[in-house]
Amino acid sequence: MVEDGELGALGADSYTRRGHPDAQVRMSAYFQDYVTVGVFIALGAVLVAVMLGIAAVLRPNNPTRTKQLTYECGVDPVGAGWSQTYVRYYVFGLLFVVFDVEAVFVFPWAVAAERLGLFGVVAITIFMLTLIEGLAYAIKKGVLRWE
Amino acid sequence: MQIDWLAIAPEIVVAVTILGVLAADLVLPRPLKYWTATLAVVGLTLAVVPLILMAASSVETRSLFEGSYVVDDFALVLKGLFLIAGYLVVLMSVSYIESDRYYQGEYYLLLLSSVLGSLVIASARDLIVLFIGVELTTGPLFMLAGWRKGDIRSNEASLKFFILGVLSTAILLWGMAMLYGVSGEVRFDQIRSALADPSPAAQPLVGLAILFVLVGFAFKVSAVPFHFWAPDTYEGAPTPVTAYLSVSSKAAGFVALFVTVYVALRDRVDIWGPGLWALAALSMTIGNLAALRQSNIVRLLAYSSIAQAGFMLVPFAAASVAGEQLAEGLAATVVYLVIYALMNLGAFAVVIQGARRTGTGDIDGWAGLGRIDPRLGVLAAVFFFSLAGIPPLAGWFAKFVMFRAAIAAGSAAATSLAVIAAINAVIALYYYARVAKVVWFDEAPAGAEPATEPPAASLALTLGIAAVATVVVGVFPAVFAVFGEATRVLLASG
Repeated sequence: MVEDGELGALGADSYTRRGHPDAQVRMSAYFQDYVTVGVFIALGAVLVAVMLGIAAVLRPNNPTRTKQLTYECGVDPVGAGWSQTYVRYYVFGLLFVVFDVEAVFVFPWAVAAERLGLFGVVAITIFMLTLIEGLAYAIKKGVLRWE
Repeated sequence: MQIDWLAIAPEIVVAVTILGVLAADLVLPRPLKYWTATLAVVGLTLAVVPLILMAASSVETRSLFEGSYVVDDFALVLKGLFLIAGYLVVLMSVSYIESDRYYQGEYYLLLLSSVLGSLVIASARDLIVLFIGVELTTGPLFMLAGWRKGDIRSNEASLKFFILGVLSTAILLWGMAMLYGVSGEVRFDQIRSALADPSPAAQPLVGLAILFVLVGFAFKVSAVPFHFWAPDTYEGAPTPVTAYLSVSSKAAGFVALFVTVYVALRDRVDIWGPGLWALAALSMTIGNLAALRQSNIVRLLAYSSIAQAGFMLVPFAAASVAGEQLAEGLAATVVYLVIYALMNLGAFAVVIQGARRTGTGDIDGWAGLGRIDPRLGVLAAVFFFSLAGIPPLAGWFAKFVMFRAAIAAGSAAATSLAVIAAINAVIALYYYARVAKVVWFDEAPAGAEPATEPPAASLALTLGIAAVATVVVGVFPAVFAVFGEATRVLLASG
């Protein structure tokens, strides 16, 4: 099914790989990675069970009403567990994430700024301006006003 | 860093237009908001210029970013299709959106973002780039489908589309992750060479990865049995958005599917070939049978577009089950895709104007529309007969190319798919012709007067472009054969 010359190079490459004993090894190594994951999950479960189990055996068991309250930074909890949150927090959260992610891109650029030169400056400027336009949009639409 | 700026010029132009539309929407006062639409139209027109320059240049394949982004003739033809379809949908939207009381700037912003995503898909030769393209195409559409915030059907459309869209994305991503897992590569050509090495331990994983990728894309193109979101979403969404969904977004999903299976997974055609065969056969048959019973024109077009997706898949699916002439099959599918886009956009423009004239989306409510508004009646007949594949309209050439490719593939499975397609083409004629019959032969309701006011200029332009294209391609199919040839030649070297 190879119809052209350009693919010849790739074809040759795959041909040398085909039947190579490495192929088997690579694949079983791939599945072994998942065995590692499985072992870690099992270890985690065992660890929790052991710690809680030992604690249950050793500690005195003396529940009071105060002790069984939901722990909320030491303050007595108010209201039920299911409470509604202002939807506005969501918009703020969204904007926060946008600029948080911006930082993820800007810091690596700043580290490599000298090496990237003018191209990097232009690219990051375009990137920032795009986000700033988004911020301007949010402000204009009154998203950041709290009344 | 060396970048071929001309190759990514269309994307850059559209991206700048998006920012421009957003800025214009912020600064313009309410009465001048229509400038956002004008900007969108200008931007889409300008984006075609670099495409033409590239088509005229002697450089055949431009490969960027270490081969992750490739602009060849296949990409050029499809980018042209996406830009023209976006252009027609913007034109269609102008009068439709203005009649609403909602702000419009975001509408064009979201629409253009989706167009940008489909431009990226056409060039993506890398799992990550492809995924970004797919998400950029569908993400804005979730919001556009729910554009009429006060309309509960629109909300329903958006929600259904969103939930199933996210589900399909998860499945697709899972498949892609497994592909990466077995090959250790994200670039398509490297995935291909990595998968060419048949290690027995990897076989089940490869099969599963291909299955998941196939299912993920099948959701995007609403192929049966992954089509359940489509009719409700199409009916509830604003009609121009529905037109976009059924043309551009579907075409983008197809292109993403073809590029993945053709470039990255070509050697595993034994796995995905039968899958495509089943998708094609089921989509045609079930789409058509369901369309027979629809009384709402938009739902009819929704099921019709599911069935047409099946027809589109026929040449490529036939070639892939036969394991031969894959490039020819793909070329035929692309030709079908382009023609379908033009005539289906026309059909939706007719639906918008027809619903405005008659005040209803029920097919029976359109009785006598041909008397009330003869020009619209003629256009309705043109587009619906073209969808049915009656010569001398463009649809016949699409069907002709489809059957020729399916029969040329030659194996028993390919021929049986052609037979299923033939039966379905006859079934489809019934419901397409029924629309023309209601419009021309049923009595108009008493008191209906001939329409005097002309349609909005932008909508008239959409209808005009689509009608001219449909008739010209039907009479001189050689226009498209050239495109098809270009696609074939270049895909062979893909």
